[in-house]
Amino acid sequence: MSKGLQLSQITKYYEEGGNRVAALDHVSISVEPGEFVAVVGPSGSGKSTFLSIAGALLRASEGEVILNGHNLSKMSDKELSNIRLREIGFIMQSSNLVPYLNVLDQLLLVKKMSGRVTSENRSFAIKLLEDLGLGAKLKSFPEELSGGEKQRTAIARSFINNPNVILADEPTASLDTKRAHEVVSLIANEVKLRQKAAIMVTHDERMLEYCDKVYRMEDGTMSLV
Amino acid sequence: MFLAMRELLHSKTKFSMIVIIFVLIAWLVFILSGLGNGLSTLAASVFKNMDTDYVVFQQGSQSSMSKSLLSEQMVAEVEKLPNVTAASPMGSSMATALKGQSNNNEDKVDVAIIGINPGSFLEPAIVEGSPLSADSPNNVIVNATMKDEGFKLGDTFQLDGTTQSLTIVGFVENQTYNHVAAVFTPMSEWRKIAFAAPGSDKGIEAPVNAIMLQGKDIDSSVIDEQLSNTDTVTRAGAVQGMPGYKEENGSILMMLGFLLAISAFVLGVFFYVLTLQKTNQFGIMKAIGARNSFLSKAIISQVFVLSLISIVIGILLTYGTAAIMPKGMPFKLETNLVIVYSIVLLVISLLSSLVSVRRITKIDPLKALGRVE
Repeated sequence: MSKGLQLSQITKYYEEGGNRVAALDHVSISVEPGEFVAVVGPSGSGKSTFLSIAGALLRASEGEVILNGHNLSKMSDKELSNIRLREIGFIMQSSNLVPYLNVLDQLLLVKKMSGRVTSENRSFAIKLLEDLGLGAKLKSFPEELSGGEKQRTAIARSFINNPNVILADEPTASLDTKRAHEVVSLIANEVKLRQKAAIMVTHDERMLEYCDKVYRMEDGTMSLV
Repeated sequence: MFLAMRELLHSKTKFSMIVIIFVLIAWLVFILSGLGNGLSTLAASVFKNMDTDYVVFQQGSQSSMSKSLLSEQMVAEVEKLPNVTAASPMGSSMATALKGQSNNNEDKVDVAIIGINPGSFLEPAIVEGSPLSADSPNNVIVNATMKDEGFKLGDTFQLDGTTQSLTIVGFVENQTYNHVAAVFTPMSEWRKIAFAAPGSDKGIEAPVNAIMLQGKDIDSSVIDEQLSNTDTVTRAGAVQGMPGYKEENGSILMMLGFLLAISAFVLGVFFYVLTLQKTNQFGIMKAIGARNSFLSKAIISQVFVLSLISIVIGILLTYGTAAIMPKGMPFKLETNLVIVYSIVLLVISLLSSLVSVRRITKIDPLKALGRVE
């Protein structure tokens, strides 16, 4: 059984006015545990489609996605949602926290989705937040947090279920340079520390120094830089 | 409950407004049901509180006392029939009691004269005074509401348009008929009042309006086969046969029905709009692995909590309203009815939230990605 994330020969077609447009054209990529990979490229190049397929949100037209040994191509919607819950940690643009949950509850929510919240879960969540420098903000609501703090909460949330794969979609989109560096270096640290396979989609070239490999995406094809 | 309760506590203003709407609906439902119940009690409590199971009417009388005329001699025949444990005759007629000899409006009181055999199972228990006696047919027991009209124990009143005068020897409670207070008289006195006009008894010997039967396992068709010219119905059937009863109840039920249907729409739309507002949030949660069932449970439990709070407040307000309602208002809350309508409201609001649940299952988690707020 192979760990990490492997996409092989992924193609995704969209119907557009009767024409078949390939948003992804035979894309292959393999990310090992502990590896932090960046995918860059102009908008419309297929980055979002790529991340959606890697993140079990969208099915590929052709090709296979193997996530921690599970073949996603043959799974039902319910199984995919289970994979998203247990195997994937998402870090989205503008953090996307639930507005009425405090920082700690944001993490416990994910635990709640898979059943009960144990006291171990609780202490792990607190430890995770403390590691990310949010120890003093456990009871704060998203509206009381700065952009960087929100994004750090989102990072903690993506790690709470101890997933094997971390996917980050433009995590620095709404941050200034200082905070952007802070956030990406945090992701990089956690990825190394916890041996996760991580992919970050970004158009922020400043952030590439933290990544092990950089792929460029253009018109649906992917190439190693 | 995790999401539901936290959101409720976080957006108190938003949810209090929904609770206010829901409380008003619940309040109205309870008040209307209390009024309906009060009216039907006023119309038929003599029947409803009577310890009887079946009623024998004359054939073709449509279960109405006023259209039915039987002979008291039939009582002996009925008692012999299978499953009949007891039988007793009853008569009813409307009259006006005159307080003294005055012609003032407030001194004329409509009453229902109910003729029964003293000591029979039809005689209601008195709360004050003494019961009926066959020896003094002019002594009557009356509903306690007549006290509010100024009648006292021992008072003698005349019946308008007759030569009969009656003396109150006892009071009973919750005995109204055709919306007016019931006056129970011995059978012989009732006949003098009801059949004062010659020929109005149609030549029937010892006429009565109906014969009330006791006996749980009575088969009404057997009774009708054994007796000639009769039509036997249950007590509930006799209540339905009272003039105007069905129509009156029908109007109230129709109002309640419309109110419940409208509340289903109003609540459904509220919950739906709330859900629409949260489409993006639900998309995010789905993207990080929330299943439809998890989110649906959150919605339903939230609706459940909101409904429960609203219904409880509604009930409290209703009992509060009942306490300050004017005495003459036909308003009667029954715990059973309150429970039934609470459950109906709860079910309606939960059903109306299903539209929102359907909406959730259609939210695409993809939307959560690549969206900048």
